[in-house]
Amino acid sequence: MDILYLLIPLSVALVLVILGALWWAVHRGQFDSVEQEGERILRDG
Amino acid sequence: MSHHPSEPPPAASVAGPLPAAGSAALLDDPQEWGSFGRPVGGEGQSAGAWDSQVVLDGMHCAACALTIEEALRSVPGVERAEVSAAARRARVVWRPAQVLPSQWMAAVQRAGYQALPAMDALARERRQAENRKALWRWLVAGFCMMQVMMYAWPAYVAQPGDLSLEMETLLRWASWVISVPVVLFACGPFFSNALRDIRLRRVSMDLPVALGMLITFVVSTAGTFDPAGLFGREVYFDSLTMFVFFLLTGRWLELRLRDRTAGALEAVMNRLPDSVERRAADGGFARVAVRRLAVGDVVRVLPGEAFPADGCIVRGDTQVDEALLTGESTPVARAEGSQVTAGSYNLQSAVEVLVQGVGGGTRFAQIVALMESASLQKPRLAQLADRIARPFLVGVLIAAALAAAWWWPTDPGHALMVAVAVLIVTCPCALSLATPVAMLTAAGTLARHGVLVRNLQGLEALAAVDTLVFDKTGTLTRDGMAVQTVQPAPGVDAEAALAWAAALAHQSIHPVSRAVAAAGHGGVLGRGRHVSVEDVQELAGQGLVGTLKEEGAAERRLRLGSTHYAGATAADGSGPLVVLSEERGGALHELARFELREDVRPEAAAVVQQLQREGVRVLLLSGDRPAAVQRVAAQAGITESHGDCTPSDKLERMQAAQAQGRHVAMVGDGLNDGPVLAGAHVSFAFGKAVPLAQSRSDFVVLGEQLTLVPQALLLARRTLRVVRQNLWWAACYNALTVPLAVMGWMPAWLAGLGMAASSLLVVLNAARLARALPDVSLPAGGHAPAAPAQPVLEMA
Repeated sequence: MDILYLLIPLSVALVLVILGALWWAVHRGQFDSVEQEGERILRDG
Repeated sequence: MSHHPSEPPPAASVAGPLPAAGSAALLDDPQEWGSFGRPVGGEGQSAGAWDSQVVLDGMHCAACALTIEEALRSVPGVERAEVSAAARRARVVWRPAQVLPSQWMAAVQRAGYQALPAMDALARERRQAENRKALWRWLVAGFCMMQVMMYAWPAYVAQPGDLSLEMETLLRWASWVISVPVVLFACGPFFSNALRDIRLRRVSMDLPVALGMLITFVVSTAGTFDPAGLFGREVYFDSLTMFVFFLLTGRWLELRLRDRTAGALEAVMNRLPDSVERRAADGGFARVAVRRLAVGDVVRVLPGEAFPADGCIVRGDTQVDEALLTGESTPVARAEGSQVTAGSYNLQSAVEVLVQGVGGGTRFAQIVALMESASLQKPRLAQLADRIARPFLVGVLIAAALAAAWWWPTDPGHALMVAVAVLIVTCPCALSLATPVAMLTAAGTLARHGVLVRNLQGLEALAAVDTLVFDKTGTLTRDGMAVQTVQPAPGVDAEAALAWAAALAHQSIHPVSRAVAAAGHGGVLGRGRHVSVEDVQELAGQGLVGTLKEEGAAERRLRLGSTHYAGATAADGSGPLVVLSEERGGALHELARFELREDVRPEAAAVVQQLQREGVRVLLLSGDRPAAVQRVAAQAGITESHGDCTPSDKLERMQAAQAQGRHVAMVGDGLNDGPVLAGAHVSFAFGKAVPLAQSRSDFVVLGEQLTLVPQALLLARRTLRVVRQNLWWAACYNALTVPLAVMGWMPAWLAGLGMAASSLLVVLNAARLARALPDVSLPAGGHAPAAPAQPVLEMA
């Protein structure tokens, strides 16, 4: 049981780290146009 | 903001960074006004005013529209302000003599929003930033919600004594930490909007929601850190994060759907290319920005590019896609000398185009202007809903306060949570979105198929229509006539005669000549005849004469025209007739006669039948000769037809029908029938040649398919059904859930789910209208609407 006292704060920290990663992904434009990669093959050049 | 490397600097500065919000004063320069508006033409009191479009930032709900309109109207010099919640744009009519753009934009800012000139690049960037932010907020809320659920779970399943006090406290603290970003960041827009509303002493959609979130967070925080306090030891972090997530999900999906609706508009506006190859003085081609084109330039348009301006092809043949302008998805051939329209796509090969109309003068610009003004109108039902929304919100706040007061003596914590449920469950948004979303979606669908809606109110009127008047023979026929039969003289080959006649007729633009030319076109090309005509003379009202040269044959002098002109005996047929004859040895020898008929659109009969099946009475009122009108009516299956009608006759007949309580739709060419079109409940302008700027009809059919008329009618009926469903749903939902919440039977998470689902249902229901147009079933054996435009030809 005692390990939970460590794991719970750790999970909180992990959530914040993952949120940071998501922030990066969103603001780098990864979700701006989900179809774009699929369409790329259809375009020239 | 990517600049084409070879773009010259002046163009780059035009398309470059636009004035930021802080430098709105730049927009006071009259040079800039044209980029986001246009002067109001016409007479009357609005002469000299400007009609500008702005994109609004910070609008989160339909109820904001009213506030912004009020703020704008209170500025002296602003004549009209119309805000569309669904498109998040505003249209402002203002007088430069009294007010400048920076001043009325400042008024919008004082109301707590931001107005930006609706220049496209900017609007698109805004939308992207807004999309990113919304997505990010939604992700934060969703992710934190999942984590909070994990921490909340042990408290739900633990038996008394299972969970030590320290462990429970630790879990609560962890939940609190994870909830903080949700409240501070994901709920940001709710709070900032609510604060703004309080500062301006008004009520809007976000106030109850923000209050609900704040109360829940405060109650739960108190429960975490002061379990012995006034609000008890109960915590609601799971409910809080969950309903924030539901609300954001609802708004995010709403945003996406609305973007798609507005997308029809954007697709039109973003159609023109940024730059194009223009022929320089030395004959070479250099790439310049489209804005720098002027009438008289020659540009080269490569396959795959859109035409940047209206013009005429001076070199090359190609196929173009005019789907945007006409709704017709089959490519059309455009040979040297034919017209092309800005916004259509060049599909096949590079062509050189002589520019004849640029910027605001193009048909494309007129279409965009039409669509913009239509998307900003507020239909009557929407105005009604907006008026109800505000007192309704005040009522909700009072109900929440009363419910809290009622439960307070038993348990303050529970009392507050009941109030929260009341605040969150109500959904005036569904009420105010119900009408505009449905109508805009329908207008977008129609626009994609080549029907422009000038007037959203027209959709409501169209749904009620039970009488349809075609006010011109020309709406039921294709331009002019078609050759029905070819009767060659003895010893003459019918096909050869037709080919000769067509070659001659090709030199004239008379409707009869065009019919003969069209009938012969296939023959000439198909059988490899090389016929050329020289020395052609046209005698007005009589016919053509010219010298015909054919490979391997002697030159012949041919006449094509009336029986008298061609020296033939009088005709016994009923329809108009032309005769081809040869001048030989001082006399005229008849070669063939061509019987013509009005070229009734192949789909006309099916359209009339469909309309009649839908319970619509169909009439034909025309100014043409009664015999011709009767013939066309009979072919189209119209039983009531009247020829020789003057405009006042038409108006009289229409008013007589209206006096009987009928709702009349008028289908005309939108040109000369001003009073008739204005008198009808709803009007269509039909035909390629409709000059958009002058047309006053509610609907403009850009395509050539008559089927679009019944389709628009069916879609309008469906739209009204959807609007009614939406309004009923919003009313029933609120009537049912508010009492439940007041009684304390509605947990906060369910309230959040209910509200998000309710808004979403309204938008989704409207999105059904974005599917294909209703089918118009054609009778067996009838011509399919997409049948090739070749006239039926009988060789006698």
